Amino acid sequence: MNRDGEGTALEAVGLGKRYRRRRGPVLQDCSFHLPAGRICALVGPNGTGKSTLLALAAGLIRPTEGTLKVLGTTPARARERFAYVAQAKPLPPQLTVAATLRLGAELNRARWDREAAERIAYGPVYANPYADPYGEESGSAYGDMHGEAAADPVPGVGPGVGPNLVPGVVREGGLHPRDRIRSLSGGQRTRVALALAFGKRPELMLLDEPMADLDPLARRELLGALLGEAAEHGTTIVMSSHVVAELEGVCDHLFLMGGGRIRLGGDPEQLLAAHTLLTGPARDLSGHTVVESHGTGRQLTALIRTDGPNSPPTDGWETAAPSLEELLLAHLRNPEAPDLFTEETGGTGTADMTDVTDVTDVTGEENARP
Amino acid sequence: MNTGPSLNTGPSLNSGLSLRTGLSLRTGLPWTVLRLHRAALIVWGAFLLAALGTLVWQVEVTADSVREGMSACARTGGLCRRQAVIHYGGGISWASTLVYYSFFAVAAFAGGALVGRELENGTAELAWTQSVSPTSWLAAKLAVPALLLVAGGTVFVLVFRWAWAADRDLMGDDWTFNDVFAARGPALVAYGLCGLGVGALAGVVLRRSLPAVGVACAGMYVVNHNLEEHRGDLWPTAANGLHPESHYWPMHLVETGVVLGVAVVATGAAFFVLRRRTG
Amino acid sequence: MTTLLASTRPAPVRVPGAALGLARSVVRLHRSALWFWLLLMVALAATMLWAYGPGYGTASADVQDQCRRDIEACHFPGGPWLSRYSTAVALTTLVVAFLPLLVAAWAGAALVGRELENGTAHLAWTQSVSPARWLAAKLAVPALLVSVGTALLIPLHRLMWDGGENLLWTDWFDAYGFRSNGTVAVAYALCGLAVGVLAGLVTGRTLPALGVAVAVMFAITHLGDQYRPSMWPTVTVTGAASLSLPDKALQLDRGVITDEGVRIGNNMACTTADSSVADLRSCLAHNDLADVWATYHPQSHFWPLQLTETGIVLAVAALAATASFVLLRRRTAASGAAV
Repeated sequence: MNRDGEGTALEAVGLGKRYRRRRGPVLQDCSFHLPAGRICALVGPNGTGKSTLLALAAGLIRPTEGTLKVLGTTPARARERFAYVAQAKPLPPQLTVAATLRLGAELNRARWDREAAERIAYGPVYANPYADPYGEESGSAYGDMHGEAAADPVPGVGPGVGPNLVPGVVREGGLHPRDRIRSLSGGQRTRVALALAFGKRPELMLLDEPMADLDPLARRELLGALLGEAAEHGTTIVMSSHVVAELEGVCDHLFLMGGGRIRLGGDPEQLLAAHTLLTGPARDLSGHTVVESHGTGRQLTALIRTDGPNSPPTDGWETAAPSLEELLLAHLRNPEAPDLFTEETGGTGTADMTDVTDVTDVTGEENARP
Repeated sequence: MNTGPSLNTGPSLNSGLSLRTGLSLRTGLPWTVLRLHRAALIVWGAFLLAALGTLVWQVEVTADSVREGMSACARTGGLCRRQAVIHYGGGISWASTLVYYSFFAVAAFAGGALVGRELENGTAELAWTQSVSPTSWLAAKLAVPALLLVAGGTVFVLVFRWAWAADRDLMGDDWTFNDVFAARGPALVAYGLCGLGVGALAGVVLRRSLPAVGVACAGMYVVNHNLEEHRGDLWPTAANGLHPESHYWPMHLVETGVVLGVAVVATGAAFFVLRRRTG
Repeated sequence: MTTLLASTRPAPVRVPGAALGLARSVVRLHRSALWFWLLLMVALAATMLWAYGPGYGTASADVQDQCRRDIEACHFPGGPWLSRYSTAVALTTLVVAFLPLLVAAWAGAALVGRELENGTAHLAWTQSVSPARWLAAKLAVPALLVSVGTALLIPLHRLMWDGGENLLWTDWFDAYGFRSNGTVAVAYALCGLAVGVLAGLVTGRTLPALGVAVAVMFAITHLGDQYRPSMWPTVTVTGAASLSLPDKALQLDRGVITDEGVRIGNNMACTTADSSVADLRSCLAHNDLADVWATYHPQSHFWPLQLTETGIVLAVAALAATASFVLLRRRTAASGAAV
């Protein structure tokens, strides 16, 4: 539904952020637009401002210039409607997992989904919130947690009779309510941090490097949960990563960050379709937008844009579709390649390609050089 | 199917949300603050109970035995009397001194654990992205301890007034002693609140727990030391250049006002700095 | 893994200068603390020198001037210069007397607690530094700086304290003055360091370590003040001598001996008799008493008391330091075995 362009998840105009103790701005004249309902990968090398952008969107810091709208309003006003998981996964170390989830419930009384949070934290075995897979021994602690949350018991569903209950079986890596945050591994902390995000039932999830500490199994589980969330509730998901491969095939939107702004934005397939990898005898490519070219003697390999007015030269050239990784690396190696956005227009659901170079030229930015 | 909350960005929903965030009591913020700082709460509670217990014990139990001992050395007095005073008054003055100067601990707690550490390790930002604006976060962080300080401090002041007045003949102090002067009225509570405000300001500005502890304690020392030095100047002296005991309340209330003023300014500055920094 | 086990084995290769590198890294990590310490030392030294020299001079001239003009002022000296001078003396004495608490707070929180809490200690332990050597460096470098700093302050403080005798009636047995005037100052500071390090290791967290370290050091210094008179044999005199104790003596107790030979402490009978032997005799006879006595520390006990207390406090410090090493060794050996 949100695909129809009903809403905008993020919209930045001339966004800039400069830290007092750091030379040069982290973000500069960064403008982009993310339609609602997308699963968006925010990729780029270390130190290009991914975390800064997400923290700006989460309203944790103020931009030094420009504006950033979140869910159509300011980050502060949208606070209840988005979730944010910071890169370091900060959690109060003195709390137990159950108390941390209770904290989420207390801070989000209006919209807390306990089942969703517990499913992420404890694994599927806890899908029924009244099931106690630990039997009598830990009953008090688990009951304690429910007591704190003031749960109203569901008639007929007493402890130990949940349909998903497999006594004594806990998925490896799943957490126990009584575990202290202090004692958890990095990956386990990530689970709890994500559980807080899911429990909020947000319209937009801002996840800063959510995969970094997770093992492959947990990654797959998380991606599944994110996809399910997006499919079921139309949640927009923005997650940053410096590893492109782990997000390929999952996301339907991609932002490549570099030079303090977003350099490529749009559906990855459309982005790929807008580029061609040429191999052939060296020749003049003026008139084309060349992202990268390197030659060995007479041979020339070049990545060019096919979205411009000139169709790609075909005579005597081998053309190939670049891989996503090739495309991103080519842009990273060549900071002067012009920015490209594939953008949705109107409510038709079809995508038009718009080279925003012209737009940014007006603002005096110098990224139009071929 | 979009069964969850839809992306309705209409103004009606927004105004409803901002109304809801404004009422921090409707979110679970107080619970959160109490749960996060449970250890500090327990330590503080035990400390306060110990102080109150000492006062009650001294008045109800020790006083009688001291009187008995004194009647044994009635003929000679002097050093014997002084020993009794030390024995009896010592416990009471320990209680008032420790509770009075506990504003240092409050300032250290506020700058360190309450605010500084949370900003340092990012758990504050966790709260700010859990439907709690930085302003309501700080408001709850200050309101809950402030409420406890007011309640606990009031109880202590009342009990201390009773204990201090109970056996004047067994005590060697008078109303001008620093701890006695502060602990017999609202100034004690005001100092606690001032510690809270100054600590919060240090925590918000420095965003690191240890420097915040140091700066908050140093700040409180400056405030407290200057006021203790100039207590005599807080009210015009009588014709003989001295303060009669009837000046206690005017002097005490002026000092309370000054300390509360510092508390309000520090708290306001903490909110101002936090608001300027966050979105 | 080997680094974790290294504490239980002799280090295989001793690189010359490795200890220096470790010491340098400790200084580098806590550079702001070092600057703070140096600034504090300079500020204290400057204030004490001022109080000893110009502060005392101006205040005493001012007081004499007032006395000359108004006889009342001779008995109740005051004025801005005396107030400034006494503030300087009181404040520096307070700071020096409570330096051990400051050292304990810093050692517990910043030196050890924080490093364990955020994992940088583990970083050091995997940088070819065994936990035991890490702890040794954490103790040795600050111990050196703390000892040198406090040791330099002591003579300055003594100058100031003794100089203030006429104007401020400073006593050699004043609790804060005693803690600032001799070797116990260094001992308490080192004890603060060891207690802080132990608190940091036990709690493994910054702020609880700070609280525990300060509370324990407060208790230790308080116990020291409380039991100080018992740390060296006292002098007991009877008869007329007990009525006129030597100048600056710390009187601890006085009492009477009855005709039956019972010794009663804490009794002031016949102390009002002027010290003439005849007067005392008549008073004793009148009250059925055999004799009067007094127990005290003469001023000459200052150094014996200082040195005994120094020894005891240093023993506490050594105990805390040893406990730290034992605790760390047990912990890291356990984690080494688990690997």
